[in-house]
Amino acid sequence: MGITISPCSLPYPVVEMKNFFLSLKTTVWTLFGLVCLFFIGSYQMPMHREIFSQMNEGPLIHWAEGTAAKNVWQTWWFFSAIAGLVLLTINTIVCSLQTIKAKWSHSDFLLRTSPQVTHIGFLFIMIGHLLGAGWGYKLSGMMSEDSFVRLPENRGLYLQRIFVQTDTAGFMQDWSAEASLYENNDLVKSGTLGPNKPLFYKGTGIYVKSLSFETGPVALLLIAKDPGAVWALAGGILFMLGSVTLLVLKWNNA
Amino acid sequence: MELLLIILYLFALYRPRLILPALAAHAVHLVSSAMQYGRIPLIGMHDTLGFLAFCIGIVYVISGWKRKRDLFSYVTIPVLLLLLAGSIASPEIPGALPPVLRTIWFELHVILSFISYALFAIGSVFGILSFCRKEERAEINQYRSLLFGYVLFSIAVIFGGIWAYLAWGTYWLWTPKELWTTIIWIFYSLYLHARLVRGWTGPKVIWMGIIGFVIVMFTYAGVGRLMKSSHEF
Repeated sequence: MGITISPCSLPYPVVEMKNFFLSLKTTVWTLFGLVCLFFIGSYQMPMHREIFSQMNEGPLIHWAEGTAAKNVWQTWWFFSAIAGLVLLTINTIVCSLQTIKAKWSHSDFLLRTSPQVTHIGFLFIMIGHLLGAGWGYKLSGMMSEDSFVRLPENRGLYLQRIFVQTDTAGFMQDWSAEASLYENNDLVKSGTLGPNKPLFYKGTGIYVKSLSFETGPVALLLIAKDPGAVWALAGGILFMLGSVTLLVLKWNNA
Repeated sequence: MELLLIILYLFALYRPRLILPALAAHAVHLVSSAMQYGRIPLIGMHDTLGFLAFCIGIVYVISGWKRKRDLFSYVTIPVLLLLLAGSIASPEIPGALPPVLRTIWFELHVILSFISYALFAIGSVFGILSFCRKEERAEINQYRSLLFGYVLFSIAVIFGGIWAYLAWGTYWLWTPKELWTTIIWIFYSLYLHARLVRGWTGPKVIWMGIIGFVIVMFTYAGVGRLMKSSHEF
């Protein structure tokens, strides 16, 4: 059970709400609810491919407003999970603020801060998902060697050459592609793309997803912008720092 | 070689420390496979089931170093042997890594995932010990094992996200496999928080530690077979 607030200073409904969000039971039941919802979702997704196959194609919010909103009988678990994550986020913020407000001593500084660092990491990851879901974009298409394509934000991409390395049996061992990125008709970046080697410019990544050789070398390119990626990375680092510290501290005092 | 490993692992049923020759032989087998194919042997069910058995063996010998022959061995060793048998029964994928898997992020993601799975496995064994043998330290050992597993699993997921972002421009996808990975992560978060709630400590939380490993095994071996996903396993 979490910390309770004295009812003398605040109106009763506010106190009740605060106690609800401060309670560890709220955390536990919300987490349990999310487990159940994701469980249902994992079964709904393969059963209704026509609805869920577009989920990863573009910004999640567009899918939620369009396809998902029109098929609520199949997507209710998704909306409920989002509501659960919002509740968990508020619960995390309220509990962390309460812990920070409480009296501190030097002896338990790390023991108190490490869970909060983990919580902040979780919140950053949530912010990252929110930004990516609302303001990111993904574009993909085939490009042959020595071709040019226009991109959003007054940019253009020139694919110069594709290099393929094969083994003695003719299987593809490695590949790379030389590309140049233009902004307002000025060359802003050029480099070599490869597996796990995208070309980044101002938060936009250019990826070669696969190659085709039916009509000469052609690359399937993906242009992805995810404004939440940096937040998610920062959240991941904070989560790791907080949880490793907590592990070290709790190991001997379990 | 794998049949020899099964025989060597059987000796651990007589005395836990006798698992050491089996682990040494298993380590040699993993290194020789890595040298043969020029990659870490962690592709497909054959490789990963064998590696999971090896990780469980390592965690078993560390956490049971001072133990004598008891239920801890009688539960862990059969699980380990079952995984090894599954590895033998699964087809081996020869050859080098595909270009997209040739990155340190993939290697760290997979290695840390399987070490965490092994910790979750031993955590569930401690849960069984707590119920069957009424061992006082079993619940604490379960907590330690699951906390360590949770931290490594979280790091593995984060490294997997970094790899996915570099390879495919996204660090998370809405697919059944990713949902089940999230279920594992949320479930163990639930375990760690529930342990702090009055009224949940004791049998309820111990049961959660046992059930967690069932979820882990389904996510690892079941989801890929039953549901289409970006992961092969």
